Amino acid sequence: MQLKFKVPIFDVNNLTFNVRGVNILTNISLQIFNGEYIAIIGPNGGGKTTLIRMLLGLETPSSGDVRLFGKKIKEFKEWHKIGFVPQRASLVDENFPATVEDIVKMGRVSQGGFFSRFSKEDTKHVEDSMLKMDILDLKDKMVGTLSGGQRQRVMIARALASSPQILILDEPNTGVDMVSQQRFYKLLSALNKEENITIVFITHDIGVIADDIGRLFTINQKATICNNPKETLSCEDMSELYGIEAHLLSNHKHEHKEGESC
Amino acid sequence: MLEMFEYDFMQRAFIAGLFIAILASVSGTFIVLKRYSLMSETLAHSALVGVAVGLVAGYNPLWMAVSVAIFSAWLIEYLRSTFSLYSDAILAIILSGSLALAVIIVSIGGAFNNSLFSYLFGSILSVTSDDVRTIIIFGSLSLGALLLFSKELYFISYDEEVAQVSGIRVKLLNFLLVTVVAIIIALSIRVVGSLLIGALMVIPTSAALQFRVGFKDTMLISIFLALFSVIFGMSLSFYFSLPSGATIVLSVIALFILSLVINKK
Repeated sequence: MQLKFKVPIFDVNNLTFNVRGVNILTNISLQIFNGEYIAIIGPNGGGKTTLIRMLLGLETPSSGDVRLFGKKIKEFKEWHKIGFVPQRASLVDENFPATVEDIVKMGRVSQGGFFSRFSKEDTKHVEDSMLKMDILDLKDKMVGTLSGGQRQRVMIARALASSPQILILDEPNTGVDMVSQQRFYKLLSALNKEENITIVFITHDIGVIADDIGRLFTINQKATICNNPKETLSCEDMSELYGIEAHLLSNHKHEHKEGESC
Repeated sequence: MLEMFEYDFMQRAFIAGLFIAILASVSGTFIVLKRYSLMSETLAHSALVGVAVGLVAGYNPLWMAVSVAIFSAWLIEYLRSTFSLYSDAILAIILSGSLALAVIIVSIGGAFNNSLFSYLFGSILSVTSDDVRTIIIFGSLSLGALLLFSKELYFISYDEEVAQVSGIRVKLLNFLLVTVVAIIIALSIRVVGSLLIGALMVIPTSAALQFRVGFKDTMLISIFLALFSVIFGMSLSFYFSLPSGATIVLSVIALFILSLVINKK
């Protein structure tokens, strides 16, 4: 694979995480390269969110290590290269005093160092990412008054404002209706193809997996990496890991293939 | 109404009071959004230990209050991050522990008197020009720190983890915030009193939140409400000889109720 010659964005080696003797994740090794589009699936409680939290340094692994852009996580400083949209993103506190612009601006806070104020460049990045997410007209609206789909786009705009190379989204569709979900996958796909932003997203809902995905990681305490998600559907290991839901996944794909072209 | 400014003590009290209104409402915005409301109450009680030591041992009570409040703020952050305790339980423990300690110190030192009463509920008569100087110097430093890091603190209040992943030094800034809050509380107890200062931090922001506006406007409304209640409360205190802390807090509560009524959904 030619991918091996590049420095991966994430390089995970033998990662194990246990809490009070219970293994949540065991011996996870994986790499994520620039420009990839990866979905992480797995049942609830399988350790997907824990894995992401370790990748971002929010959780310390029991053993093994994580490298970001070739650097150990403790030495990594260029956090603006990483855009993170957490699980509860679209379920914001409705009383929090924030306009859409207030939230998107947060994406620029760590850019100029400790003492700086927002510059013209910051404002431009903020406007650009609102434009990309089609929320520029909502700029002065309070976030608490928006729909789930709109909030989701605000959160992604915030992550995009720091001009990241990789976007990590944890269950981005929580609290979002079906129409918005389809629009959301189109947006992700466009970001990946047109802006060359690496996309990693977690979902427990295997019914919504988009067709553009390059690779699929299934996490259920262990990781299985499928380099060709379409072949994965008949993958025996996967049904072993994923239990009955693997069956559902392959059913869903069949429906898709028989239906409209995708 | 302006005759009250003919008195020197009233001029001092007003300078101190207006400055404290700004400090309490700006820091209060972050405190409320971070769900630290009970923190201000706890630190105010800890500051009382400093006041007690100061009164009994003859040191400047204001300086002692600042030191003990900072120590207590750091202790709370340490306990929060080191032990598996619920943070509201930690606050309740430190709050009652501080009050108990203060009462014992005061009892042993035989300082249960009017002077203590003024530290509990605030007094416009007690503000000295030394106090005004201390409040202006330390208050300006605290306000400067808050404004300098307001973007970061706002982001942290919104979502601590996302802020951390964006490269913001969350722990350091949380530490800075509690330190600044401890200083502001200790400075405020002359005018508002240690049992009532928590209200001046929490209520203006809670009222401002009812207007459902963005961050900057929320802070501005909060400052305006705090200034208005301090002016109104101190005037009441002057004309009716009531403890200033109590009149200020009742004024701010009246504004809070008004903001609930105006903004009823």
